Amino acid sequence: MSSRLLKPILTALLSFTLTPAFAQPPAPAPGPGPGGPGNGGVPAIFGGPRHVPGGPVQHLADGHPDMQGFWNAGNNGGAVFEVQNHPSGRVPFFGPGKGAIVDPTDGFIPYQLWAAAKAKDTFEHNLAEEPELHCYESGVPKQLYVQFGFQIFQPANYVVLTWEFMHAYRIIPTDGRPHIPSNIKLFQGDSVGHWEGDTLVVDTTNLNDRTWYDTVGNFHSDVEHVLERFTEVDSNTIKYEATVDDTKVLTKPFKIAFELYKNTDPKYEQMEFACIEGNEDVTHYTKDKGGKADVKVK
Amino acid sequence: MRFVASLVTALVVVGAAPQMASAQAAYQAPRTADGTPDLQGIWQVRNTSAAFDLEDHSGALGIPPGRSVIVDPADGKIPYRPEALAKRQENFKNRKAADTLNKCYMPGVPRITYLDFPFQIFQTPKYTLITYEYIHIYRTIFTNGSKHIDGLDFWLGDPRGYWDGDSLVVDVTDFNDQTWFDAAGDYHSDKLHVVERYTRTGPDTLQYEATIEDPAVFTRAWKISLPLYRHTERNFRLLEYECQAYADEAAKGSH
Repeated sequence: MSSRLLKPILTALLSFTLTPAFAQPPAPAPGPGPGGPGNGGVPAIFGGPRHVPGGPVQHLADGHPDMQGFWNAGNNGGAVFEVQNHPSGRVPFFGPGKGAIVDPTDGFIPYQLWAAAKAKDTFEHNLAEEPELHCYESGVPKQLYVQFGFQIFQPANYVVLTWEFMHAYRIIPTDGRPHIPSNIKLFQGDSVGHWEGDTLVVDTTNLNDRTWYDTVGNFHSDVEHVLERFTEVDSNTIKYEATVDDTKVLTKPFKIAFELYKNTDPKYEQMEFACIEGNEDVTHYTKDKGGKADVKVK
Repeated sequence: MRFVASLVTALVVVGAAPQMASAQAAYQAPRTADGTPDLQGIWQVRNTSAAFDLEDHSGALGIPPGRSVIVDPADGKIPYRPEALAKRQENFKNRKAADTLNKCYMPGVPRITYLDFPFQIFQTPKYTLITYEYIHIYRTIFTNGSKHIDGLDFWLGDPRGYWDGDSLVVDVTDFNDQTWFDAAGDYHSDKLHVVERYTRTGPDTLQYEATIEDPAVFTRAWKISLPLYRHTERNFRLLEYECQAYADEAAKGSH
């Protein structure tokens, strides 16, 4: 089949496939704040973006793509609640859904047997240990799919990401420096980045074992190693991929992927997120408060 | 005409001399690509006593002695209103429980600057971003001409900046009344207004000044000034000081 013939057929097929989606009634107006519905998983109340496709990728004077602005994780299937598929709807306040794992294709974390048992036990008995209930930073890659969005800065020799949630940040030097010694452990790990064409590649090590992948007990050890790729596909869309390895916990690496959407409201600013300054989350999970946790936290 | 120019130059020099002496502005900071003074780098206070008490004070167990960093008024004392001074003494007595820093809360401004932890300054054309090692705080200082937010309050205030010659000037409002200036009970109300000034004074030094006013607590504005030093150690970088996580560990007795 000649390519000239193939193209119209493909176009026709694509139109057919896409038409029903576009033919749906218009989405309801966005609620308060910058968010809006129709983002493929993250409710507007959590800052889910209304995505507007952008123009061509812009480049900075240093030749790298200009990713600066405010971004939100979209189309991640509610990974912030559970990173792997959750067909049973076991996540409180959030129905059955698909996670963000694209490899393995079944959408589940390839745990070693002992680790699967530990994750199950945590879900059943220790949800009050969820790190963010205690105001800890989210770790990597979870930090990329938390709610409320983040800002990208590109000062000379760095890419810096700041989140509203937990006022977390990540500093990613792109000057070729090596990782810090492996005995230093950090919630956000040690990230070093480099550019491959229009893609920012970030290698993260030195992560501690005190963060989870989500809210329901999916966990990693302190040998977790994450390789992220940020590729700007248009001026309002970044394709995000992360390959996660952990030889103590996994039988093989897994990979997550979703898109980041730019918040195009010109007046948008991130607000201050105070956590421990008024935190009562932990009390909701303990037995004396009607929760089911076995641990008594503070 | 040449005479007029000389006269003008002489007058300008005379007029500017006292200010230049105080700001040590003889040094000209290098510029970023967009032409603003380059403040980028990792900085830290070397004066470890100011965070305990901004005024002159003797040493005590765990507290280094120190001279006042208050340059105005000249006596180095915070100009409290009489009734406010009593509250400060009460704070001092109850400092262990009353200082929200001891609960790992955000320390407010300017206190975050002279806590004994490093912080890193980044600049882009629209923003100056300061990331602090202490409890992963960051401050996004808008240098894009935007205005203060009305009707909200923040632990770290709402910082809007502009460039004034070689200085970054940051106007900070919208504070809550929950933070102190130091561990000695020096405090403010939610009417606090802070004007910070960051000026490079050499390759590895940055002068930090903060003018503080709060009509509910002080009789007049007052000003602190102290130098910050660049970290020049090989491979130095910000790590993490996670106060809350360490406190949880201590409470569980696991460390």
